[in-house]
Amino acid sequence: MAIVNRTPDSFYRPGITWDEAAALERVHTVVAEGADIVDIGGVPAKPGAEVTVDEEIGRTVPFIEAVRDAHPDLVISVDTWRNEVGRAACAAGADLLNDTWSGWDPKLAEVAAEFGVGLVCSHTGGLQPRTRVFRKAYADVMADVLDRTLNLAQRAVQAGVDPSRILIDPAHDFGKNTWHSLDISRRLADMTATGWPVLVSVSNKDFVGETLGADLEGRLAGTLAVTSVAAWLGARVFRAHHVVETRQALDMVAAIKGDLRPARVLRGLV
Amino acid sequence: MIIRAALCPCPPLLARELTGHDPLVAGLREACAAATARLVDTDPDVIIVVGPAPETAAWDPASRLDIVAFAPALGPNGKSGLPLSLGLGALLLDQAGYSGPLVLQAVGENEPWAGCAELGNRLAASASASAARAALLVMGDGSARRSLTAPGHLDERAAPFDARVERAVRDGDLAALAGLDAGLARELMATGRPAWQVLAAAMGTGQPVTDVLYAGAPFGVAYLVAQFDAAPNGCRPARYGPPRR
Repeated sequence: MAIVNRTPDSFYRPGITWDEAAALERVHTVVAEGADIVDIGGVPAKPGAEVTVDEEIGRTVPFIEAVRDAHPDLVISVDTWRNEVGRAACAAGADLLNDTWSGWDPKLAEVAAEFGVGLVCSHTGGLQPRTRVFRKAYADVMADVLDRTLNLAQRAVQAGVDPSRILIDPAHDFGKNTWHSLDISRRLADMTATGWPVLVSVSNKDFVGETLGADLEGRLAGTLAVTSVAAWLGARVFRAHHVVETRQALDMVAAIKGDLRPARVLRGLV
Repeated sequence: MIIRAALCPCPPLLARELTGHDPLVAGLREACAAATARLVDTDPDVIIVVGPAPETAAWDPASRLDIVAFAPALGPNGKSGLPLSLGLGALLLDQAGYSGPLVLQAVGENEPWAGCAELGNRLAASASASAARAALLVMGDGSARRSLTAPGHLDERAAPFDARVERAVRDGDLAALAGLDAGLARELMATGRPAWQVLAAAMGTGQPVTDVLYAGAPFGVAYLVAQFDAAPNGCRPARYGPPRR
């Protein structure tokens, strides 16, 4: 899942795809690099200047139309928590509602059901959208993650969302400190064992930076390490900034698992 | 009577193991250690830790902070039990080598002034009734909305609010602490408000002598470390003027 943000102020390389032409170019690039899904978001996760529903729709929906036009078979996800945005995005051709704020708007699941699209069910420890974690403690963070995401998934099924289109996401760093994000990474098998496909979004996140003492531009290796562990433990979707490197890491893990044939084996066989 | 009180902040980072390799904010840790040491040095009959929590309640004085709730890697599955503010207070006292009688008293984060005053008066009264020399360790923080990267983002009202609190502490102005606007404190995520109001009531009338050991917001949350000594001549001096000799 390649990230294409339609914001001027997201945390990583802000504004790089704010210009629509640059954003569309980025989509062409990531598709060529092997992205299976393009995730289009109009509101940064961090606190800041308010982005109204109309503004968010303006940033994402015409762009989704343009992407759908250019790539008829590409899976397009929209990174939003709001039902009005989800509705407009689906009408424009989006296939997946990537809700990173844990069902804050209960109507979003109804939109997924109505349009027959997919839904991501995530965990934030109860945070209001666009707020930061503050002294959060968990008796058992993975138990809390499972409880919330499985509840949301069941709720979505009851609302009429196709069960084969539901993903669960622990949402690293959302309502979790670095220790918590490391623990959910270590215990990810608990999520993959549920049978719901697991999405992880770890790219360049603060828990990687805090673990390694690395600034924003120095987190690729750490990101790929978490990506590889998550892949080994059975995660299915990986939301990433660095598509080429992520594709390679995933292919390597798949080859080790025996799910992917190596590209070209000659050494030792000649 | 309450002979001395210390104000300390209660961010989880005060538990050293939680910050990983980097100890961070050495100055803040030193100030908290100094304030706690001064409390223990008065050789009190009891130390009462007061700190904000979801509900007003006394806790088992033997309970301690469960850091595993903040850092699963540091131990087997924890149980979030003792409120953070009380846990950190008890930790500071353990680190200062205090092993005497302890009270762990939570004050509800939304407790209005009346409830805080009632609690503060009760703590002071029970110390007086048993002729005990009691010390208070008051845990709590100013606004968590001091910067763009603060947990609560930036609220322009936060710095002036914290400045008023610091001024009140420097001046030993218990009335100003008693008069803090609970609604504004809540909006600004200033979790210390109810604990400071318990302190204001517990120290009675009069003007304590104060000393500020640390005041700053390095991470967008206002931390204040201070010491309050009961006004000379006992609990209620100011109304009656200086002692006659």
